Amino acid sequence: MRTNQISAEQREKAFVSARKPEVMEKQKLDVRYHVEDFDVNDRPRRFLEAFAAILKHSNYRVALDHFIRVSAKCSRCATTCQVYQATGDPKDIPCYRSELLLSVYRRHFTMGGMLRGRVAGTGHLTDEKVQEMADSFYDCTACRRCNHECPSGIDHGLITHLGRYILSEIGIAPRALVVSTREQLEGASGNTSAIPVPALIDTLEFLSEDMLEEKHVNIAFPLDVEGSEFVFFPAVSDFLMEAETLMGIAAVFTATGDSWTTGTGYFDGINYGLFYSDRILERVVKKIDNETRRLKGKKVLIGECGHASRSAKQFLPIYCGGDKALPVINIMEYTHKVWKEGRLKLDPNVITEKVAYHDPCNIARQGWIIDKPRELLKAFCKDYVELTPNGEDAVCCGGGGGTVSIDEIRPYRTMVGGKVKADQIRESGCKILVAPCANCKKQLKELVEDQKIDCEVAGLHDLIYKAIIFDDSLKVSPDEKQTGEEE
Amino acid sequence: MDAWLEFARGPLFRLSFGVMMLGLLRVLLLDLYGAWEAYRRAGDKTLPWGYIIRRTLVWFFPINKVFKGRPFYSICSILFHIGLILVPVLLFAHIQLWESGVGISWPALPKPVADWLTISTIVFALALFIGRSFSRTSSFLSRKQDYLWPLLLLLPFVTGYVCANMSVGASTYQVTMLIHILSAELIFVLLPFTKIAHCILLPFSQFVSCVAWRFPADTDDAVCTTLNKKGAPV
Repeated sequence: MRTNQISAEQREKAFVSARKPEVMEKQKLDVRYHVEDFDVNDRPRRFLEAFAAILKHSNYRVALDHFIRVSAKCSRCATTCQVYQATGDPKDIPCYRSELLLSVYRRHFTMGGMLRGRVAGTGHLTDEKVQEMADSFYDCTACRRCNHECPSGIDHGLITHLGRYILSEIGIAPRALVVSTREQLEGASGNTSAIPVPALIDTLEFLSEDMLEEKHVNIAFPLDVEGSEFVFFPAVSDFLMEAETLMGIAAVFTATGDSWTTGTGYFDGINYGLFYSDRILERVVKKIDNETRRLKGKKVLIGECGHASRSAKQFLPIYCGGDKALPVINIMEYTHKVWKEGRLKLDPNVITEKVAYHDPCNIARQGWIIDKPRELLKAFCKDYVELTPNGEDAVCCGGGGGTVSIDEIRPYRTMVGGKVKADQIRESGCKILVAPCANCKKQLKELVEDQKIDCEVAGLHDLIYKAIIFDDSLKVSPDEKQTGEEE
Repeated sequence: MDAWLEFARGPLFRLSFGVMMLGLLRVLLLDLYGAWEAYRRAGDKTLPWGYIIRRTLVWFFPINKVFKGRPFYSICSILFHIGLILVPVLLFAHIQLWESGVGISWPALPKPVADWLTISTIVFALALFIGRSFSRTSSFLSRKQDYLWPLLLLLPFVTGYVCANMSVGASTYQVTMLIHILSAELIFVLLPFTKIAHCILLPFSQFVSCVAWRFPADTDDAVCTTLNKKGAPV
C-alpha cells in the first residue's frame, strides 16, 4: 500500500503549467518549464544528429550498450523513487524514463536495432517521443537514488543526464538554467546571479561590519590574495540569500588563521552544466581552474553546495589535467578537519533546538561526505536527530537536478518532488534542518513553507557561526572598534 | 525417437552450448573492450574502486536489500536464481554426462537437495511470472521476453524433475527427455542475445557506470565542431 501518493486535488495544483498555451503550440512542446524559442522543425533528425555527435566524443556508449543488455525491467527502482511514490504514475518509474532514451539508442545506434527497424519499418524516433523525453527528463530530480536499488546496476541518473544534454543541443533546456549560464559564461558579471564585483565587495564589507558588531572580532573576506591555500567558490547565490553561511565560513577561517581568498575574476561555484549540458559543465569547470591558477591558489574550496562540490570534485580532474589537477575540497571537510585538530571551538550551549541533517545527493550519494557534518553537529547541538533513511540512501530534497532553479515549477517541486522529504522532516520533529547545499536550502525553505512544516532550514556554517568561540586574542576591544570605524 | 535423442544430446548440444559460450564471450569482450576504450579516453583515470566493489558485492549477496522494497518479489527472485544456477551445474546426472563426454567431473549436490531446489525453482519461476503479471509497475515496463523467460526456464526444470523422479512409461520418458534437452538448448542459444546476458555482464555494471562518468577531456570543442556550432552563443 503506497502511502506517499498525492491526492487528485493536489495533483491538479502540482501539475499546473505556467506556460501560455500559444507558446506551447508555437514550440510544439508540452512541458511545464519555460524554454527559449528554438527551431521546431525536424526535431527527431536533429536529436539523432546531436546524439551521434555526443556518442562520438564521449564515453556514454559503453554504458548504453551495457544497460540495454542487462536491463531486466524488474521495476524495483519504483520502490525508491520519490517522484513515482508521490505521483503513482508508472511513467515516473526511473526504468521507464531510461527506456525512453535506451530505445532510441537501441533502434538507431545498434546493428540489431537498425536491422529490426528496417525490416519492420517501425520504432524510429518521432516528434512525440522527443516531446515525451523533454517532459520526463525534467520530472526527475537526478538524485540517483534509484541507481542504488537497481539489481542490474543501471545508472538512471547517467541516462537522464545524457538525455538532457542531447535535448539541450536541439534547443530544449529550461530557460532559467540557460539564462543564468549565459550570464556566467558570456555576461558582464561572469556569474549566474549577475553580481558585479563592486556589489560583491560592498556586500562582503557590510557582512564584516555586521560580524564585528556581533562577535567583536575582525572577520574578513580576503579578496584576490595570491598564493592562498584555498581559493573559495561558493554557490554565488549565497552572497544574496545565504549570508549567514558565508559569515560562518569566514568566522572559521578567522579562528584558524589559515589563508583563503575569493577571486574577483571569478567567484561562482554554480555549474548548471551538470544538469543540462556537458559542454557547459566543461566551460564552467575551466573557469574555476583558471581563477585558482591566476591567484596561485593551492586548493579549490567549494562552499556549502552539493552540485557545485560534485561538479568541481568529479570534473575538475577530467577537464583540467587528470592527476595533475588542483585538489578540490568542500568547506565541511575543512571545518571538520580543523575542529578535529582542536583549532575550532564550538559552544555546546547555544543551539538547543532539535536539529537534523539533510544529506545533499551530490555530496552523499557516493559516500563522499556523510559522517563529518554529523560529528560536528553532534559536538555542539544538544538535541540531534537523524532523518531516515540517510547517508548514501538519503531522500532528495525534491529540487535536485537543477529543477530548484526553475521557479515556474515550484508547485511540482514542493508537492511531488519534495513530498517524501516533507514527510521525513515532519516525522523527525526537527526544528532546525541543516542542509549544506544552496539548492537544497532553497527547495527545503519553499517545501516547509508550502507544506506548512514548523521547521527552520539553515546551513551547517549558519549554526557554526552562532556557536563559534573565538580566542580572546582575536577579540577587538570597544575602543579599538571605535578607532577602526573612524578610520 | 532414440535417434532424435542422440541428435539432441550430441551435435545439437555441442552447437547450442558453443553458441552460448561464444555469444557470452562476445558480449563480455565487447563490454570490456568498450570500457577499456572509454577508460583510455577518460580525462581522469582514477576510479573509485572501493565504491565499485562495495556496490557490486551488495547485489551478489542482496540479503540486506530484500526488505527495503518489494520483499515478496525479492525473496522469490533470490531463491529462483539460487536454484536456477545450482541445479543445472551441480546435478549428478549432468556431471555424469560431462564425465562420460569429456572426462571432467566435479562434486554434485545430494539428490534430495537437488530435487527440492528443482521444485523451489519451479515454484518461484511461477511466482515471478505471476508477480510480474499482477504488479502494476512491472507489468507496465515488461516486454514480451520478460514474460516468456520465466516460462521458458520452467520447461527444463519441470521435464527434468519428471524424468528423474516419476515413474512414467518409456515413450513418455523419451518425449519428456527430448523436451528437456531441446528447451535447455533453446535457452542456451537465446541467452547471449537477450536480457539473460546479465548472467555474465552483471559484475561489471558498477564499473561500466563509473567509467562512463569519466568523460574525455576537451569534448566541448569536438562536439561543437561536429555539430557545426563553433562560436555559437550559449
